[in-house]
Amino acid sequence: MMKLNLDTTLKWLLVLVAVGTWNFAVAQTTISGTVTDAENGDPLIGANILVVGTSSGAITDLDGNYSITVPDGATQIEFSYTGYTSQIVDVPAGGGQLNVQLEQGTQLDEVVVTGYGTAKAKEVTGSITSVKAEDFNQGNVNDVNQLLQGKVAGLVISRPGADPNGGFNVRLRGLSSVGANNSPLVVIDGVLGGDLNSVEPQDIASIDILQDGSAAAIYGTRGAAGVIVVTTKRGKAGTSQVDYTGQVTFETPARILDVLTAEEYRNWPVQGTDLGGNIDWYDELMQTGFSNIHNLSLSGGNAQTSYRISGNYRDVEGIARETGFSRLNFRGNLTTRALNDRLTIQTNLAASTSDQNLGFTEAFRYATVFNPTTPFIRDENNPDFTQFGGYYQQQLFDYFNPVAMIEQNTRENERKTVAFNIRGDYALTDNLTAGLFYSTQRANTIFGEYISKFSFSQGGINRNGLAQRRNDESQDQLFRFELNYNNEFSNGVNFGFLAGYEYQDFTFQGFGAQGGNFLTDAFTFNNLGSAQDFANGLGNVFSYKNTNVLVSFFGRATLNVNDTYFMTASLRRDGSSRFGADNKWGLFPAVSAGVDLVNAVGISGFDQLKFRAGYGVTGNNVNQSLLSLQRFGPQGNFFFNGAFTPSFGPISNPNPNLKWETKTDFNVGFDFALWDYKLTGSIEYYNSTTEDGIFNFNVPVPPNLFPTTFFNVGEINNSGVELTLSYLVDLPNDNSWTVAFTGSRWFDPTLVSLTDDATGVSLGGVRDIGNLGSPGQNGTPLGRLEEGAPLGQLWGLVINPDNPVAEDGTWNFVDVDGNGVQDDLLDRAVIGTGFPKYNLGLNNTFALGNFDVNIFFRGVLGHDLVNTFRAFYEAPGQISAYNVLASSRDIANLVDQPQFSSRHVESGDFVSLEQMTIGYTFNQSALPNAFRKIRVFFTGQNLWMITGYQGVSPEPRLADGGNSLLPGIARRNEYFTATGFTFGVNLGF
Amino acid sequence: MKKFSLYLKTLILALGFFIVMPACTDLEEEVFDAVTADNFFQTEEELISALGAAYTSLYGYMGNTNMFGAQEVSGDAVTVPTRGPDWGDGGHWVRLHTGNWNAEDPTINSTWNFLFGGVNACNRLIFQFEELQNPLTDPFIGELKALRAIYYMWLLDIYGNVPLSTDFAETTPPPTSSRQEVFNFVESELLTALNDVTDAVDQSTYGRVNKNVVHMALARLYLNAEVYTGTARWSDAAAQANEIINSGAYSLATDYFASFNADNSGSSEMIWAIPYDEVFAQGFNVHMMSLSYLHQETYQLAAQPWNGFCAMEDFFNSYEEDDLRRGQPGTEEGPSAVRGSFLWGAQWDISGNKRLVDDGTLASGVDPDGPPFTLRPFINELQPEAWRESGARIVKFEIEVGAQPNLNTDFPIFRYADVLLIRAEALWRQDNGSQEALDLVNQIRERAGVDAFTELTEENLLAERGREMFAETTRRSDLIRFGKFQDEWWERPAQPEFKELFPIPRQQLDANANLTQNPGY
Repeated sequence: MMKLNLDTTLKWLLVLVAVGTWNFAVAQTTISGTVTDAENGDPLIGANILVVGTSSGAITDLDGNYSITVPDGATQIEFSYTGYTSQIVDVPAGGGQLNVQLEQGTQLDEVVVTGYGTAKAKEVTGSITSVKAEDFNQGNVNDVNQLLQGKVAGLVISRPGADPNGGFNVRLRGLSSVGANNSPLVVIDGVLGGDLNSVEPQDIASIDILQDGSAAAIYGTRGAAGVIVVTTKRGKAGTSQVDYTGQVTFETPARILDVLTAEEYRNWPVQGTDLGGNIDWYDELMQTGFSNIHNLSLSGGNAQTSYRISGNYRDVEGIARETGFSRLNFRGNLTTRALNDRLTIQTNLAASTSDQNLGFTEAFRYATVFNPTTPFIRDENNPDFTQFGGYYQQQLFDYFNPVAMIEQNTRENERKTVAFNIRGDYALTDNLTAGLFYSTQRANTIFGEYISKFSFSQGGINRNGLAQRRNDESQDQLFRFELNYNNEFSNGVNFGFLAGYEYQDFTFQGFGAQGGNFLTDAFTFNNLGSAQDFANGLGNVFSYKNTNVLVSFFGRATLNVNDTYFMTASLRRDGSSRFGADNKWGLFPAVSAGVDLVNAVGISGFDQLKFRAGYGVTGNNVNQSLLSLQRFGPQGNFFFNGAFTPSFGPISNPNPNLKWETKTDFNVGFDFALWDYKLTGSIEYYNSTTEDGIFNFNVPVPPNLFPTTFFNVGEINNSGVELTLSYLVDLPNDNSWTVAFTGSRWFDPTLVSLTDDATGVSLGGVRDIGNLGSPGQNGTPLGRLEEGAPLGQLWGLVINPDNPVAEDGTWNFVDVDGNGVQDDLLDRAVIGTGFPKYNLGLNNTFALGNFDVNIFFRGVLGHDLVNTFRAFYEAPGQISAYNVLASSRDIANLVDQPQFSSRHVESGDFVSLEQMTIGYTFNQSALPNAFRKIRVFFTGQNLWMITGYQGVSPEPRLADGGNSLLPGIARRNEYFTATGFTFGVNLGF
Repeated sequence: MKKFSLYLKTLILALGFFIVMPACTDLEEEVFDAVTADNFFQTEEELISALGAAYTSLYGYMGNTNMFGAQEVSGDAVTVPTRGPDWGDGGHWVRLHTGNWNAEDPTINSTWNFLFGGVNACNRLIFQFEELQNPLTDPFIGELKALRAIYYMWLLDIYGNVPLSTDFAETTPPPTSSRQEVFNFVESELLTALNDVTDAVDQSTYGRVNKNVVHMALARLYLNAEVYTGTARWSDAAAQANEIINSGAYSLATDYFASFNADNSGSSEMIWAIPYDEVFAQGFNVHMMSLSYLHQETYQLAAQPWNGFCAMEDFFNSYEEDDLRRGQPGTEEGPSAVRGSFLWGAQWDISGNKRLVDDGTLASGVDPDGPPFTLRPFINELQPEAWRESGARIVKFEIEVGAQPNLNTDFPIFRYADVLLIRAEALWRQDNGSQEALDLVNQIRERAGVDAFTELTEENLLAERGREMFAETTRRSDLIRFGKFQDEWWERPAQPEFKELFPIPRQQLDANANLTQNPGY
């Protein structure tokens, strides 16, 4: 990391921090020297020097010099430096000079986070991918998920548009849950269930992805969808360092839909209603989004105490007007050692506050269909439109002026998060450490929405102004106790174990109110009491609270024999209040082993060839509280003796057997390195089965009180292969080029069963799912579930591909069952699959003198998308009132109404030039005095894409609304995509 | 010593650990914002509110995919044309009107859930109140059994063969019972209930089941007994209707619309109503389903209506022009000055001075008269391009100025005019020259401002029932009873006999393996 050639003129700036020897031994020796890079002789700054068996330590200065006091009796000194192989050197008799050269470490010495601990990469027996900060995606990154897109084989991160407030869908290795959670567990600095949005991307040091069951099983009932472990940057002993990164980004729309222009609309074979104007609604809705980000951090420390403080401000504008956010983040951490270094205390404090302008993503849909010949957008003096605040509107179904929608109305969030944790580790012996950890975090979101009295959309005119305010708060606290044992025996056997207890509770609560009928728009949502709705009973007020508790016992043993044979076994016992009364505790075992074949059987030609195999059981907790209980809630009002009195009725059925989903996972992999570690990589195969899937079933009423009950019945199977390769090409003049490839193949996740003989609940073989929606296509399913068949099936009518329109102008559907009659219900077929098959990333990193260049391609292949824009807006007949897609030209003789069919299912295959960065780092000698480092960079994002998809974004859609079982639906309220250009500077002081 | 200190430290840590731990293995789930059976049914108020669950179930009755849709759209009086992209809904409304419904159609399942939700609420409350043995709730038990029997009467009518479930504690999903068994159950329960429910007719029984409600349920049951069981029970039907007439508690209101105005709770015809309210008892939104988007300006509606349900043209034309129940069209001079069941002709805004204009963009394809918005009873086609202006709209249930998406008008489930028509029909069936029958029907016609019949025929009796009971959810049963349901009309082809029952919903067959699908499906 910090391997710098420093100009001597800077030396005066630099302070020696090699202090911290609280050593009162009488006889001592002083040793000094230089620590350098073995390869090129550069001094290593901030290298750690520790007298073995004592607390006496030191740190090298900016020239790599150190000086250390060695207590009497000490015989060895350990030199260590991040990224380099540590060395233990005997103390020269009588003291004096000791110069040490450290070898750059290979990735085998990299530290990998394994969950409740770390391990050296070579010892890892599960499937874990570690991504370090220098490998993260760059540019206009506002969300931690963006850092990883395309970087990890098997991890799919998808956000179909560039909504600055939009979330990502994350799936690791297919679909792990039937009806619970399919997003990986996030662990931030030891806190389970962290909020990725509360972490500033620039504060992250590394992200480790626990991919297989054997690695994730230590997280028990929350590990089934995989685990993402985030480690934030911490201070290092050494000179105080100040770093500043600033960047500005311009974003422009990347892809839009091809709709008719005003001219085309007028001259269409069937003429649209010409209103005389000429408006490009996409232009009116969208803008060049301008964003700027500033990050300042301060870090440093000495041998006992280190710290890092960072502050970050960002102001982000979306490509749709009236969308964006500004956010302020603070993070501080402190590490200190005491009691002869036996006690280590670490604290973290993070806080963030953000103001989000959510806007109205529906506006994209109305910009698509609004008449391009509209005479004006707004004319305050036109009496015909006074009731709409002067905006041009027409009384058509589901048809609103998109500019009016975003300008008249507001929708926003204010979000605050604060998280604090403290960890104490005490070394009971040299081999046994006890640790206590406490963490608490809170997030609070205040939502506000106001629909103007003059807004034709969202019920503004109907309700005479409509305001909503709500406040949602989540909090949790976690307590953990751990015992860690590690011993390297003289016979080359290294044995470790971990035992722990963990308690975590969560509280979710909130309240809100919605009411309309205002005298004026002046208050927006800030004076709800003035809404007349509350006087006449139409206002709506609510509050809620629910909690849940998770209690766990866990343990893990690791064994390393001669750096050749490795084994890991873990066991976790989880209890959750969300489980039914008869099933409160679950057990999650895992075992995995690896062998380094180079060491074991002496395979030649390889630097490393390790074979791994793992088996693990993980769980998926029930994703809502109270699902196992019989509950009653308010159910309207009952007319009793001439007055309405509230009535209570059942809102759920009991299921005391309700429990977690169980995922059993088998994983094998090879890690290899060739040609002096120039080529490294790994290949993995996994096969997992999730049983006891949680599904909300129809149940007969009677005998049940409520028509649906949550049962554990489903079973799904996933398998796939993953390949990761990295190749280092040495170029002349110390330049280099690194190519890194990640690729994964998801075999179709399969719905094995959705029937349970014991309880008698059944899917009945197949079930249509999804609903295309209004106008006119309510009750049109989009996919289906079929026992024994792949998940993600898109389902519908099949259009004749050569001749989509029949002679009489109706849709020419295929008579699938061949009975001679076309039937909308019987003649449906599987017309696509929503899950992607291949996820590919190709990263090129060039180090060319002072320049650094990064070029990153990403591709997702094998998935289909229902292009709902086409399913609704491609029928030429609608042109009388609505604008249509230009692709309606292909079916100009159609007289039928829009009707969903295979015509609207398109391949989503794409390859994109996701990111290109060029950076330039100035020579030290050229820098002004105060600077340690200056780098300027330019990044382009989403620069180029090949895809046949006609919609806006070909990204896979991993869920429809919240339904993970229905992927592949590209809805009409999605935000459009953006291309971004970022200019930035990194300054070090 | 080193070893000792290690053990000591471990012990201290372990002790601290185990002190913290016990509190932390409690996995009992805490409930904050709902109630469980453990902490409910404590106070008098809670008991009354518990009873309410049996009645609030009724609020779904007039939903478009519920009793209203099932009983009216399948008949010859109401239809939901596919108007361009509107109301296509996967062909559901076309299937429901043309007899092509299937076991997965939403109306089929939601009506089932509605009715069995009611049955189940009754079963649960009967069980709980029987356990409680509280003097306050004991009288509720008989009332609940009667209400349950009425829910079963509707199930008998719509699905025929349904599971009989009366024991809340029974957890095995019940098997299908035959239509005859269900009929026997309903009859015996209703007859028993006559002894158990109050005969009071006042505020305390408004919207609830009293003795006259039970008589009326029996009258309807017997009226349709031949359809349900093959055995006619005309004299029993006539007798039950007579019980209500003789109670003297009701009379025919002078104004037909007194029973359909927003303040209709005071109507002298109201035997049993669902006390809908725009705030407290939401669910009656026929105006939203029927009116055009533009009618927001006619009534200053709080929401844009959906331009769907309308009257069938032939049915509409069965009214005589001066029938007070029909009303009059809007003209180029202004909106209709009188109240009617239908809205058609030239359409105006609330002031009556501004003609509603659709800019020519409203009609998809063709708009015969251009921009002025004129509703016509003629419906050019059922699908896919019904004109947005076609079909007279349903305004029988009063739409107040500024109406919310839910009406304040109460829905009359049982109404006195129907009692007279039931008795008339039951008498006529036994003696087609019955003078009493003719007089009863003519009472109805007289109020409607149309000439008296000189005789009753199958045609004119069914037609009169249709006109009087329009949109009151009896049309499907009436057509079946008069043997007309299998007939062809408009775009609906002739139907096989099995269509006189709806299929058992697919979702229910999936959920309960003991159910049997109705024949033919």
